[in-house]
Amino acid sequence: MTRRIVLLLAPLLFLLSCVPSASPAPPSAAPAAAASAAAFPASVTDFQGRSVAISKRPERIVSIGPSNTEFLFTLGAGDRVVGDDDFSDEPPAAKTKPHVGGVKVNLEKVVSLKPDLIVTVKFSDGTIEALSQSTAAVLVVDPQNAADVARTASLLGKAVGADGDKLAAEIQARLDAVKAKTANATKPKVFHEIDASDLTKMYTVGPGSFIDDLIKLAGGTNIAAAAKSQYPTISAEEVVRADPDIVVLADSAYGTTAEAVAARAGWSALSAVKNKRVYPVDGNLFSRPGPRLGAAAEAYAKLVHPELFK
Amino acid sequence: VRGAPAIAVLAALLPVSIGGGILVGAVPLAPGDVFGALVGTADPSTTVIIRELRLPRVLAAALVGGALAVAGTLLQGLFRNPLADPYVTGTSAGAALGAVGVIALGSDLAATLVPLAAFVGALASALGVWQLARLGGRTTVLTVLLAGIVLTSFASALVTLLLFASDRLALRLRAVLDILTGGVAVRATSEVALAGLIVGCGVGLAIVLGRRIDAFAFGEETAATLGVDPERTTIAVIGAAALLTGAAVALAGLVGFVGLVVPHALRPIVGATHRTLALASFFAGASALVLADLGARTLFAPAELPVGVVTGLLGAPFFLLLLVRARRRELA
Repeated sequence: MTRRIVLLLAPLLFLLSCVPSASPAPPSAAPAAAASAAAFPASVTDFQGRSVAISKRPERIVSIGPSNTEFLFTLGAGDRVVGDDDFSDEPPAAKTKPHVGGVKVNLEKVVSLKPDLIVTVKFSDGTIEALSQSTAAVLVVDPQNAADVARTASLLGKAVGADGDKLAAEIQARLDAVKAKTANATKPKVFHEIDASDLTKMYTVGPGSFIDDLIKLAGGTNIAAAAKSQYPTISAEEVVRADPDIVVLADSAYGTTAEAVAARAGWSALSAVKNKRVYPVDGNLFSRPGPRLGAAAEAYAKLVHPELFK
Repeated sequence: VRGAPAIAVLAALLPVSIGGGILVGAVPLAPGDVFGALVGTADPSTTVIIRELRLPRVLAAALVGGALAVAGTLLQGLFRNPLADPYVTGTSAGAALGAVGVIALGSDLAATLVPLAAFVGALASALGVWQLARLGGRTTVLTVLLAGIVLTSFASALVTLLLFASDRLALRLRAVLDILTGGVAVRATSEVALAGLIVGCGVGLAIVLGRRIDAFAFGEETAATLGVDPERTTIAVIGAAALLTGAAVALAGLVGFVGLVVPHALRPIVGATHRTLALASFFAGASALVLADLGARTLFAPAELPVGVVTGLLGAPFFLLLLVRARRRELA
């Protein structure tokens, strides 16, 4: 049984992305310029360095990974998405598409949708290899940080025949605007809490993750900036030692509240708790490196530097 | 009294173990700073780390180890079987099921209700094992163990079923995993205080019941002729064991073999009188788990092993040894 639970645990971070959103739908990014048929055949290099040939404009797309689905809709290819994964919930129309599984992809379901393009995040269980057996072109697109987001926009734009470069530039412009505003501000210490089921081994964000990038753009200092992985664990002892000025609760959907944080043994001594700067956030916006990254950076910066974003 | 010197030594050893336990943690601290935090001369964050984070955790480990060892003493006496303890009889699994069930219901309720639910689960499964084990009129080593296996499997199946059926549990998977792998976790100091109260009651009850459990050593009929009511004593012993196991599981999840090994190792030293054995087991079990937890935190530092892994690695071979010996004796 333990094995099964370990298997279930592995996609924990992935599950975070299925947290229902309380925020209104994002302002509908204008579908990029209509594709010209002349854009095909196209050749794109995916995140695994594979050069993938796409002979004609894809008309039946299966999207696996909430960030990929969101990108496809933003690029104006939402009506060509014939299936997506269980966790794809943005925009709301993504929820009504046939689902092909989540943690585990249902290969038969994918094939039955007769896709000509499959866009998927990375899998290490043989899913990619199995999908590659079908006649569809398979693109592995797995953005992890802010730079990956612009790359994803360009890459997917080229793959589906939309102006991805324009979307990439729009996102980058919003990120740059936030960065410029916070450039000369003080850099308060931020603790970003993903999971605190076990206070000796809490999950947070480290270098290479898009949230670490967001903290930097927002003009903060991640207290786990020196960690060795994207989603490292941290002990309450280390948090107390670092004494963050701001605590961001990405686990608020689990029921974690500012009051619960203040009640934890030893945490009332934190500057963030004393100054009431413990912020529960919408897990959906901060759970995926998608086209709303610009909006996410603005929202994060508002938490870190409310005086600069009024 | 036989065993008094041993109890004195074990009691003196406990503060030493606890002192060792608070020296090591996620933030490296010099022994001088740790001492400074205890007497109030260290800087504020060191003081918080030692007094509010590390010390409660180490004290929780001591309570868990002590509680499991005393529960093991009670169950071994009740079943007249040196192979019984909360873990192998399925009492811990019942407690874990209760705890997971409450977590499934809601995180707000969980903090206060987990010890209660764990107690109810432990009580139900201990009573179940006792009923199963005495089918046919006499309890043997094998029937107790088999009944324990059955109940543990059943409780595990129910926990897995809950995991699949409850959306809330899917989100709180790590909390469940912590219970199943065994790890000392303290969220608030009040949890330790509550556990201390429960364990105190359980140990007191064990000492009060000691004489009557001694009478059980000669069989229930002999016990009855000695003026001990077997039925009521059995219920009281199971209740005390469930109280102790529930408190231990609520704090640390499933931690195996402490309850088995500690009373067994102490019996040749302090004798089989349950009053002294229970007291000695409490101090020895407390030290043992504090040290096991210290090992869990340092063996693969900075990563922390679940303490259940450490006790399992050390305890399982010991259990096998006992099983082989018991079989030989039965066959001889």
